[in-house]
Amino acid sequence: MTETRKKDQATMPLLARLLLWTDGPRAILGIIVVIGLICAALAGTDLLHHRHVNFDVEETPFIYGLFGFVVYAVIVFLAKGLRRLISRPEDYYGPHATDSESEFAAGTEQAQETDHA
Amino acid sequence: MPEFLTPALAYIGGAVFAPFIVSERLRQIFMLTIPVLALTVFWNLPEGTYAAFNYMNMHFGLLRVDKLSRIFGLIFSLAAFISILYAWHVKDKLQQITTLLYAGAAIGAVFAADLVTLFVFWEGTALASVFLIWARRTPGAYHTGMRYLIIQIGSGVILLTGVVLQYQATGSLAFNAMKLESSGTWAIFIAFGIKCAFPLLHNWLQDSYPAATVTGAVTLSSFTTKLAIYALARGFPGTELLIYIGAVMTLFPIFFAAIENNLRRVLAYSINNQLGFMVVGIGIGTPLALNGTVAHAFCHILYKSLLFMSVGAVMYRTGTSKASELGGLYKSMPLTMIFCVIGALSISAFPLFSGFVSKSLILSAAAGQGQFWIWLVLVIASVGVLEHSGIKIPFFTFFAHDSGKRVQEAPTHMLVAMGIAAFFCIGIGVYPQALYAMLPYDASYVPYTTSHVVTQLQLLFFALFAFALLMRFGLYPPEFRSTNLDFDWVYRRALPSLTRRVADLVERTWHGVTRLALYRLDRFLVLIYRAHGPQGPLARTWPTGSMVLWIAVLLGMTLILTYL
Repeated sequence: MTETRKKDQATMPLLARLLLWTDGPRAILGIIVVIGLICAALAGTDLLHHRHVNFDVEETPFIYGLFGFVVYAVIVFLAKGLRRLISRPEDYYGPHATDSESEFAAGTEQAQETDHA
Repeated sequence: MPEFLTPALAYIGGAVFAPFIVSERLRQIFMLTIPVLALTVFWNLPEGTYAAFNYMNMHFGLLRVDKLSRIFGLIFSLAAFISILYAWHVKDKLQQITTLLYAGAAIGAVFAADLVTLFVFWEGTALASVFLIWARRTPGAYHTGMRYLIIQIGSGVILLTGVVLQYQATGSLAFNAMKLESSGTWAIFIAFGIKCAFPLLHNWLQDSYPAATVTGAVTLSSFTTKLAIYALARGFPGTELLIYIGAVMTLFPIFFAAIENNLRRVLAYSINNQLGFMVVGIGIGTPLALNGTVAHAFCHILYKSLLFMSVGAVMYRTGTSKASELGGLYKSMPLTMIFCVIGALSISAFPLFSGFVSKSLILSAAAGQGQFWIWLVLVIASVGVLEHSGIKIPFFTFFAHDSGKRVQEAPTHMLVAMGIAAFFCIGIGVYPQALYAMLPYDASYVPYTTSHVVTQLQLLFFALFAFALLMRFGLYPPEFRSTNLDFDWVYRRALPSLTRRVADLVERTWHGVTRLALYRLDRFLVLIYRAHGPQGPLARTWPTGSMVLWIAVLLGMTLILTYL
């Protein structure tokens, strides 16, 4: 571990240091595996538990999981397509919008420090 | 008779008195007492209309207490308290006064028993709230505020038109359930729809809230749109059209939110989506559905303000709310991260969090009515909520790529305000009976059944798994600085551009016509001049003999023509 990283970690709150294990590719892979295992366990309950439903389609095993997965992916891909159509530079509306203005004016700490200076 | 005519008076009185308190700390404490004081005005009153009077043969009522107004009064009071506490560090009196006036107007509107009182407070919310945008004091904020004000005041003017027409038609100003049968009720409906951000009338929301100050956006997120939900629930329960409007509202913002870089605008789109659920509930109009709308509005105010507060705290410390500039902030602001995650879990309707026990009432009501397609849209929209508010906001702010920003944790008062909201988000999720007991209509509902919990967890965890895989394989859209066009492009760009082109065309045509006319006039004058000018033939001095000769010629020709 480099000196800079050590110094960086020393300045972090205790709670943040406890969560540092989430950094790094191995941890991310581990998190994905855990989520996958939770999904598998939840899907498994469909075989054990007969649910009360309002519509016939809900009785299909694994339908909720499948639906959540597919719909999520479709939303993301559709949104990516939408971005191609509607994305413009940040200053598109020029001075008539706050988009390209400094956000300090919205009452951030930096703005207050400037005010007090 | 209550001590105050309406709880709004407590806020208005507070707003008048607060600026004269010199000590900042005392002023803040004084402001915090106002929502508590206003709550005591109506909380223990038996149901009925108070402060009622006749004026010019019209019946007014400033304080109608029933279960519907009481629960909205309660959540608005709580939201006002949290907003004021969150803004403890703000020394700008303009924001302090307008926050009180805005919250007071919203609460005043909730307790209005007649349409004129409703109109007065309706416009009051518009006028007071715009200062929370202008308080940024930049040219962009000024223009955004003007757009916001025009639309909000427009809503009020349409409401007033509707009120007048309704009074002419029925002879009553009472604010009760109406049917879409006359031009008056349609006007009132549209006025409510503008404030409720119906599709194509929604852009003021995404335009203005991200332009407000850090604390102003928290306040704005609680009142205006939920007042509109209250007004629709009171005025148009069971209006079928609302089911379809609401369904569209839940669906379209999720795509815009997914690609939006400004996190406060993501939350504004998310408000739109959440309002959709409530509007569907009003449209279904059964006791269960209406209870669902009220419960969802209650929970939504809490988790939405919690999310706005956490993003606001990040903005306060880092100076930005743009996802492209953030990331890895759990290392600096772990408590804010935890509160943000609580808000995210609540809005995503994870079991044991508030959204789970409120949104499911609306979905169950839709399913119970056999509205399969509406139910399906709401389930799809629920996945969309998870995408933008459940995952995107906390992930890109506190995790993802480390932006390298190392800042202090949020100030204590912000943490306390977030803590209060988070406490209610979890409290309602764990013990929903406390909320259900306050709901206005008789309908029983049990949220925690095995089927419901399991199906909801399946939906959410599989969607989370999809996100994890998309991120892992680099398929999730990256965040970058941009402006995304929405319908407001029509009135911010297309119409002004069209107007300019038409004006340009009219101007050029006018110039062309004028030049042509002047040219012709010039030519004519030249001709006249040639004929009559000093050198013109008609101006010459002709000898009398030649004139006689010409007269003789003329007479001769006349003679010939006569005999021909």
